[in-house]
Amino acid sequence: MRALRPWLWLLPAGCIVVPLFFLPVLFMIRNSFWRDDPVRFIVPDFTFANYITVLSDGYYLKVFGNSLALAALVALIALVMAYPYAQLITVASERTRLILLWVLCLPLYVSIIMRVFGWIIIIGDTGLLNQLLLKAGLVAKPVRILFEFEGMVIGMLHRYFPLMALPLLSSLQKIDPALLRGSVNLGAGRVRTWCCIVLPLSIPGAVAGTQLVFAGVLSDYVIPMLMGSTRYPTSAPTIFLEASTNASWAKAGAMGIVLLGLVLLINIAAGSLIARAAPWTGKA
Amino acid sequence: MNDFLARLPRLLLNGYGLLVTAFILLPMALPVAVAFTSGDSLTFPPHGLSLRWFAAALDNAQFMTGLRLSLVIAFGSTVIATVAGICAGVAISRYRFRGRGMVQAVLLAPLALPAIVLGLGLLFVLPWFGLRSGVVATMLGHALLGLPYVLSMVLAAFSNYDPALERASLNLGAGPVRTFFYVTLPLVRGGILAGALAAFLLSFDNISLSIFLSNNDTLPLRMMQQMQSYADPSVAALSTLLLIVSLGALLVIVPYLRQQAGKRPG
Repeated sequence: MRALRPWLWLLPAGCIVVPLFFLPVLFMIRNSFWRDDPVRFIVPDFTFANYITVLSDGYYLKVFGNSLALAALVALIALVMAYPYAQLITVASERTRLILLWVLCLPLYVSIIMRVFGWIIIIGDTGLLNQLLLKAGLVAKPVRILFEFEGMVIGMLHRYFPLMALPLLSSLQKIDPALLRGSVNLGAGRVRTWCCIVLPLSIPGAVAGTQLVFAGVLSDYVIPMLMGSTRYPTSAPTIFLEASTNASWAKAGAMGIVLLGLVLLINIAAGSLIARAAPWTGKA
Repeated sequence: MNDFLARLPRLLLNGYGLLVTAFILLPMALPVAVAFTSGDSLTFPPHGLSLRWFAAALDNAQFMTGLRLSLVIAFGSTVIATVAGICAGVAISRYRFRGRGMVQAVLLAPLALPAIVLGLGLLFVLPWFGLRSGVVATMLGHALLGLPYVLSMVLAAFSNYDPALERASLNLGAGPVRTFFYVTLPLVRGGILAGALAAFLLSFDNISLSIFLSNNDTLPLRMMQQMQSYADPSVAALSTLLLIVSLGALLVIVPYLRQQAGKRPG
């Protein structure tokens, strides 16, 4: 009887996770092996045809390639942007640190619609940025950023920057100041100390942040829909289009499973990278 | 760290910090300014001051029904996720049993699942339970998204929790039920509140799951439709009102959370 107790406590969560998490994933896997039918929508089958289409057709390969390239680019920019910012927070005075932390967390409380709206005001064709550029005489006609690849990058960067900066910050804050004093006392310069001590010790945060940003961008639906271009299709909107407009449930299933596979692969890669580059974080 | 990095070119670093801060804050501040425009366009600076777009937003029947619906969905899914998250937190942190690590990993796994995959799969699961797209389906889907957040916050709260207090309560004659409600729960109250807050915000702002589970009538979807078809400042006005409400709520909750954290034993 005693042994059953924890499982009783787990019952409510199980009632959510089993029907709403396991079953949908199983259904997606099943769908991906079924066949789309013009009359009966989706019919039972066991075929790899959907996967073959998704992984060999130029259009679908381009969609996944686009998403991967976008995710890699946004993650890289976010990483480079977040390092000095997180470092600044660690060295700032108590008051500044609190303000900067608030700034970093504020976007998490503001709706994504409002943030996209803000970017439309800034980078739209008649937006603030174009007004300034035109007035300064730097360009003759408005630069098109919104509804282009660039606009999507900016929107994604704004949406996912906190997910990069926060884990990085927590890694940087854990570094023992004595190590840095020791390094400087032993004659290493600032650059060398940063490269040989701060950088390696912050790898767990950097990898965790990169993983969160990469996976987030890869499967994001809202930003491509509201800020992107149809000439640069990405995975999530394309899957939605396949399922809703084209009613190709089986193909959408295969695309979804490929996307899920990519996300899992990234998580596994990040996990093993942390285990290798920062063995001290493992279970001791 | 301080004495070492204090010697870095601080001016450069500070300037950079200001730049990134502007990058983060500007897109959230500009809609507030544009909401007060008297013109019809989304340009900044606004043409004259007026409250007409606030009136337009509050008069928009689609916004108001969407708001009501989103509040119901967010509230319901938060309650479900919080109850399930607390119970799972108790199981994982208060008991040692086989498969404990696995259970924790499984309950946190929805974090990694792309919403688009989940939504598409749920469309096929719903008929099994006699459900169709709508309030209940959306509420359940959002509850799944909120669960990992509540669970991780509750687990964090339990990690600085002294089980001796629970034993003391039991030894002093309080039954297990009373002990749970009067000792265990109050001690992890901060974690529960933080988790519930995250679950509520997640549901209230959700788009990628709602496009599958709702009838395209939740508030974020209504705002998205408005933006795609009209592009007038009413979305900015409504966002500004919501921002004021959520920041107000935050100003009440955060000091409370801090007070709870301060009270925590040990």
